[in-house]
Amino acid sequence: MSWSRLHHPRVANRIFTWKAWSSIVLGVLGTYWAVVFLIGLGRLGLYRLSFAESQVPALLGGFYVSLEVVGVIIPLGFGIGFLIGWARTTRVLILRGLAAYYVDFFRSLPPIALIFFASLLGALALNNTTINPYLVHDITLWLGVVALAFHTAAYQAEIVRAGILSVPAGQTEASDSVGISKLRSMFVVVLPQAFRISLPALGNEFSSAIKDTSLLSVIGWFELSGVAYSQVSQAGFVYLRGSLVIWFEVAMLYFVLTYLVTRVVRVIEDLFKVPGLEVTRL
Amino acid sequence: MSHLSARGLRKSFGTLEVLRGVDLDIELGDALCIIGPSGSGKSTLLRCLNLLVTPDAGEVFLDGVKLTTSGIRPEWVRQQIGMVFQSFNLFTHLNATRNVMLGLRHAKKLDRASARKKAIFELKRVGLGDKLEAFPAQLSGGQQQRVAIARALAMDPKVMLFDEPTSALDPESIHEVLAVMTQLAKEGLTMAVVTHEMGFAREVSDRVVFFDAGIILEEGTPSDIFDRPGHERAKAFMDKILR
Repeated sequence: MSWSRLHHPRVANRIFTWKAWSSIVLGVLGTYWAVVFLIGLGRLGLYRLSFAESQVPALLGGFYVSLEVVGVIIPLGFGIGFLIGWARTTRVLILRGLAAYYVDFFRSLPPIALIFFASLLGALALNNTTINPYLVHDITLWLGVVALAFHTAAYQAEIVRAGILSVPAGQTEASDSVGISKLRSMFVVVLPQAFRISLPALGNEFSSAIKDTSLLSVIGWFELSGVAYSQVSQAGFVYLRGSLVIWFEVAMLYFVLTYLVTRVVRVIEDLFKVPGLEVTRL
Repeated sequence: MSHLSARGLRKSFGTLEVLRGVDLDIELGDALCIIGPSGSGKSTLLRCLNLLVTPDAGEVFLDGVKLTTSGIRPEWVRQQIGMVFQSFNLFTHLNATRNVMLGLRHAKKLDRASARKKAIFELKRVGLGDKLEAFPAQLSGGQQQRVAIARALAMDPKVMLFDEPTSALDPESIHEVLAVMTQLAKEGLTMAVVTHEMGFAREVSDRVVFFDAGIILEEGTPSDIFDRPGHERAKAFMDKILR
């Protein structure tokens, strides 16, 4: 589909299909059965149910922080990844070279090292300045988030590049032949087709980026896994089963987070479907 | 001066010399057919005319305006000269109407409503009034090629270039596409057609050019070329083609 078809009245019918609803119902059911399973384990006497319940408020707090971080990483990572991926396919040699360096650099370093580099370099740079130390602390935390966004952007750049390369030369030849400029042709001919191809892989990368946010606890983020570590350290030493319960709850919350995002990607995929072009009728 | 003319066109790809000094003239309202063996540079010649390929040397003139200078935007040139490809090259993500609309919206900068009106008019002109909403993947080869013709026509080009428009089609589709092209020729559209359809070249074209190994070997009326080919190479080609 093209961008302007988003305004089409039929788009609403495409989003709220029985498929979309049934996948939401399945997701809710899955979570429900996980809860039932957890309670069942408690009933069997593996742990105290009251303990599991007592963890929920703290973990939910961490869940919201994770949501906030993901809300920054995905748009920022995609924005950078899109630009870098595009740059890798331009004729401008300098842009292409720089973009290649970017990808090679950020794809080759472990995200945990990137997080440490970004926040430590930030702390060093802002140390002994007149800036409020609380603000400095916040900045170093968010630099870790930005580092993760840069990391996922490198992977997304390759996905976007693959999408652009998958569009046959005949398509731009045709837009050239009616006199559409190169830049416009990129937006109205190449990218809509490139995205259709890229979306499943992008969904994959989004879900992986979401779980990478768990690494942020190493620089002091109290997101979902950060909260889990601290809860476990309070209970875990004396109560091994308790820490198992906590991580089970954490896993469920990550599932919810990932499921939400991948559902959204799936809806966008449906919007980009081209009648008659897909092999399957799923 | 002719409507569209080329002088001394040369083009090489690496060490391969594809065009070796081509002079070509197309008169207003004429249908010119370019015939010749595969790999002789016919497509490259056509692509040089609308600057889809930049010639290494030589000039192209449209109504006396020199197109091959730095002052002229290739986008402008291509709006004046329509092109139809062998493999249709329809935009796969857009339906027929929007395929035709795209150039009107983004090159001619028409508003949506008038672009749509023009697109529907052109699609009806090529006999696809019942396929306005169909996507390329839902159309037969012949229908796709007719959409491509409508897409080029919608820009109101001064000349239309057809690059082997029927070579990828089955016999029935070839017939429907040639019928549309014959109709356009009768309406007085100026066109240059690279083709292997000798029947079409003979009956519809005003002039025929025999092209081989990067140069024009012969040119003249269809009967000159088909019935009285002068050049040995042209004779041999005709003998094979026409049995």
